[in-house]
Amino acid sequence: MTNTPDLIDALVACATPVRRLRPPLARAGLWLLFAALVLGLIAIAHGVRPDVAERLRQPVFVAGMFGALATGILAAVASFRISLPDSSRWWALLPLPTLALWVSTIGYGCSTDWVSMLPDGANPGEAVRCFATLLMTSVPLSIAMLVMLRYAALLRALEVSIVGGLAVAAMTSFALSLFHDLDASVEILMWNLGSAVLIAAVASLFGRSMFTWMAARLMPTLANPPLDGDRE
Amino acid sequence: MSAGRPHSSVSLTLVSASAADDPRKDVGAEDWSRLMARAQDGDREAYRALLEGITPYIRSLAARCFKLPSDAEDAVQDVLLTVHLVRHAYDPGRPFGPWLVAIANRRIIDRLRRDTRRKTREVALSADHETFADPATNLPGDSPDEAALVQAIERLPPDQRQSIRMLKLNEMSLKEAAAASGRSIPALKVATHRAIKSLRRMLKQQSDRP
Repeated sequence: MTNTPDLIDALVACATPVRRLRPPLARAGLWLLFAALVLGLIAIAHGVRPDVAERLRQPVFVAGMFGALATGILAAVASFRISLPDSSRWWALLPLPTLALWVSTIGYGCSTDWVSMLPDGANPGEAVRCFATLLMTSVPLSIAMLVMLRYAALLRALEVSIVGGLAVAAMTSFALSLFHDLDASVEILMWNLGSAVLIAAVASLFGRSMFTWMAARLMPTLANPPLDGDRE
Repeated sequence: MSAGRPHSSVSLTLVSASAADDPRKDVGAEDWSRLMARAQDGDREAYRALLEGITPYIRSLAARCFKLPSDAEDAVQDVLLTVHLVRHAYDPGRPFGPWLVAIANRRIIDRLRRDTRRKTREVALSADHETFADPATNLPGDSPDEAALVQAIERLPPDQRQSIRMLKLNEMSLKEAAAASGRSIPALKVATHRAIKSLRRMLKQQSDRP
C-alpha cells in the first residue's frame, strides 16, 4: 500500500463535486414508487384476481394483504435509514409490528378456514404463473434496492440486505395475493410465507456477497487485501 | 439536493451535545462538518484540510484495535477511502463526528474479522525460512560455523581462495570460472581440490582446539 499522505494526495486529486443523497424517506419513497410501477405493469399485463372485490370484504384477507404492504413500506424506509452510517440500527425493528400482523393473519386464516386443496386439485398452470409473478416482482425490486443502497456495502451490508430483503419479500407477497386466487390454505402458506422466507433467505445468504461484490467495484483494494509480504 | 443546509445551526448544537462524553470528538468537529460540505461541492483545499485533520483521530481509533502499526495504518487508509467513497452520503445538517466514528468503527471491525478469518487458515512463516537469491544476503551468516568457514577461506592462498569462491560460493561452472580468471580448467580443479583439503584441515584444527 502507498503511505497515507500519498493516499490523501490521490483522494484530493479525484475529489470531484458529488450530489448529496436525498433524505432516506424520499429515497424510500422513490423505491416504493418503482414498486408501484412494477405492480401496476403486472396488473395491466396479468389482471388482478377475479374475486378481488369479494375478497376485500373479508377482514382477515384485507388485514393480511395490507399487513404485507405495510411491512414492505416500513422495511423499505428502515433499510434506507440504516444504510446511513450514523443512524441508529434500531430502525431495523420498524417493520416488526406489521410483520407480526401479516404473519399472524396468514396463520389465523389458515387455522380457522383450512382448505387443503380445491375440489379439482392443485392447478399446475397457476403455480407456474405464481412463480412468474414472484420473479417479475422480486427481481427488479431487488436490483433497484441493491443499486440504490450500494454505498451500504462498505458499512452495514448484512443488516441492510436482511431488511431490504424483507421489503422485497413483503411487496412480492402483496403482489401474489393481489394477482392470484390462492384459496387453498396450503397454497397461501406456500406462496406467501414460502416466497417471503425464500427471498429473505436469499437476501441474507447472498446479500452480503452481493454487497461485497459491489464493494469490490467501489473499492478494489477491499476485494484484494494486501498480503503481509506486500506491506512496507 | 441538499437536505440539511438550512439547519447548520442545529448541527452545531448536536455536535457539542454528542461530544460531551468524549472531548476529542469536538476537536474541530464543527470545522470538519463545514469542510466536508465544501468538499462535497468540489473544494479540494477544504477536502485536503479535512482528510489531514481527521487522519490523526482515525489513527488513534485504529491504534486501540491493532497491535502492529502497519495494520493500524492500513485501517486508517481503509477508513479514508471509505469516507471518500461515501462522502455523498453525508448530510451537512447532521454532526460530522458521529458519522466519521460510525464509518471508522465499521471498517475497523470488518478488518479485524477478516484478519481473524485469515489467521485461522494461514500460518505466518518465521524469519528462518526466508532466503534470497543474492549470495551476499546469505553469506556470511550469523552462525559460528559459517563465520569460521569464512575466516578459513580468507586464510587460503590467493589462487585457492579465488577458485573456491568462484566454483563453490558463486556456483560458477568450470568454463565460466576459467574464462573469468584466465586460468586453465585443470589448474582450477587442482586449486579447488587443494583448497577443500586445506579448509578441512583448518576447520578440524579449530574444532580440536579446546
